[in-house]
Amino acid sequence: MNNEKILKLSSITKKLLLALFGTFLLVFLLFHMVANLFILADDGGDAYSAFCHFMGTNMFVKVAELVLLGCFILHIGLAGYLWFCNRGKRPVRYHQPSRTKTAKGSKLAMISGSLLLVLLIFHFYDFYFVKLNVVKGGHYMVKTEEFVLSNPDQEVSEEAQIVVMKAIQDQKVSSDGQSLRDLSLEDKEILQQNFPDAEFEPDFYNTAHDKFSVWHIVLCYLVFFFVVGLHIRHGFESAFQTFGLNHYKYSRLIQILGIIYCWIVCLGFAVVPLTVFIKSLIA
Amino acid sequence: MNFTLHIWRQENATAEGHFETYKVSDISPDCSFLEMLDILNEQLINDKIAHPVCFDNDCREGICGMCGLYINGRPHGNDDGITTCQLHMRKFHDGDEIWIEPWRAKAFPIIRDLVVDRSAFDKIIQAGGYISVTTGGVPDANTIPVPKRFADMAMDAAECIGCGACVAACKNASAMLFVGAKVAHLAMLPQGHVEAQERVKKMVCRMDELGFGSCTNTYACEAECPKQIKRQNIARMNREWIKQLFAGNHKPAE
Repeated sequence: MNNEKILKLSSITKKLLLALFGTFLLVFLLFHMVANLFILADDGGDAYSAFCHFMGTNMFVKVAELVLLGCFILHIGLAGYLWFCNRGKRPVRYHQPSRTKTAKGSKLAMISGSLLLVLLIFHFYDFYFVKLNVVKGGHYMVKTEEFVLSNPDQEVSEEAQIVVMKAIQDQKVSSDGQSLRDLSLEDKEILQQNFPDAEFEPDFYNTAHDKFSVWHIVLCYLVFFFVVGLHIRHGFESAFQTFGLNHYKYSRLIQILGIIYCWIVCLGFAVVPLTVFIKSLIA
Repeated sequence: MNFTLHIWRQENATAEGHFETYKVSDISPDCSFLEMLDILNEQLINDKIAHPVCFDNDCREGICGMCGLYINGRPHGNDDGITTCQLHMRKFHDGDEIWIEPWRAKAFPIIRDLVVDRSAFDKIIQAGGYISVTTGGVPDANTIPVPKRFADMAMDAAECIGCGACVAACKNASAMLFVGAKVAHLAMLPQGHVEAQERVKKMVCRMDELGFGSCTNTYACEAECPKQIKRQNIARMNREWIKQLFAGNHKPAE
């Protein structure tokens, strides 16, 4: 045996890498869930927008984002590769369906994972691609001082003045008075023509409120979270097993932690669209 | 008891197989599954109906690991912790239809009917499932420096009889439980511990070469193992693998 064999990635090394990237994603999921809870703050979006601004501009976050994206791609890629390698290991299938008691989450991991990938694309379309400016969003925000300073001398068109006046009238100014929020795409484009240097950011607080007041989008997201739950129910425990951290002493503890983690993440995610939806119904 | 049997018949490794239906009657509920097949074979020979059904068996008391049939969707039939020879007809209902299939895996090619070639397991053992350091003469049992619980865990893992039910049950036809048990029981004892890293490297690489799939943690193997080998052995193998990935700095053998 030499190093060549190890470079070829044994079945265990493939699993180890898959679990490693999966673990990053597990940690990220918890972070994402906690961040989402800012949407529930009853401050018109101050906290969440500040958070989004930080996440959109901080250098370290940008690096972390790249790492995370890499984890996503590698996790999905490796899972696909493992699936591909496992194909054909049983050329003739059994006539009778298996009646062996197995961990269902693990058995369905590939299906739940594939489903997640599809749902993730829709989720990215709603939010992440808007952030990357690949897809046009419905709501934008901009720092007011930035765009006033960026074009102090030039005459501002009447259209832009109307947009700004209207935004102030509709109380679309953040509580610190520094940014305009909830600008529609048209308003944003008008302002952008007049203030080319101003940096517009997607307003995810209002985007989320917009999306989550439609019942079928809320339902889709709840299904999404359910599938996430199913997948991490497998992932959490499996990661420990793959890292060789399954031991008679604490395997029960890991199981319980996995269930708790799964529920916390799923409920944490689900509470945001549900609350926003119920609020919109009352309003 | 009367049964309708659907049995996989296949002339040889290359021939195309198919299910053949047979009926057996007046089977005692105390009859073992293999004895029931013996009765069927006697019937087939006496009545000159067909070539008797080939199946592997030897000790018929659950310790040799020769028998192994996929019965109604479960390796070794619908009971836990037993081999096929320990399955009794009282576990079935009178008039049941029973589907009998061989182990299905790329690494276990069919020889004839229900007999599969499990020499892939032997090849994995040959790759590293042994101790090559000299350990001297047979020591008194109480002079070996091994804690009781380690000895117990090693013994539990060493119970593996290599029947192949883990591979048969796994949706990826993976042999991780078998290799895990072999790696674990040697790694836990002082005589085997010194070569543990080299061993896991050799055995896992050989397992991959032989066409077994990789593990996706469904634990079907653990559920079907007649010796109830635990998944913790797979974790121990993973642990040994990680150790050899990072710490395996032995001088290569000359």
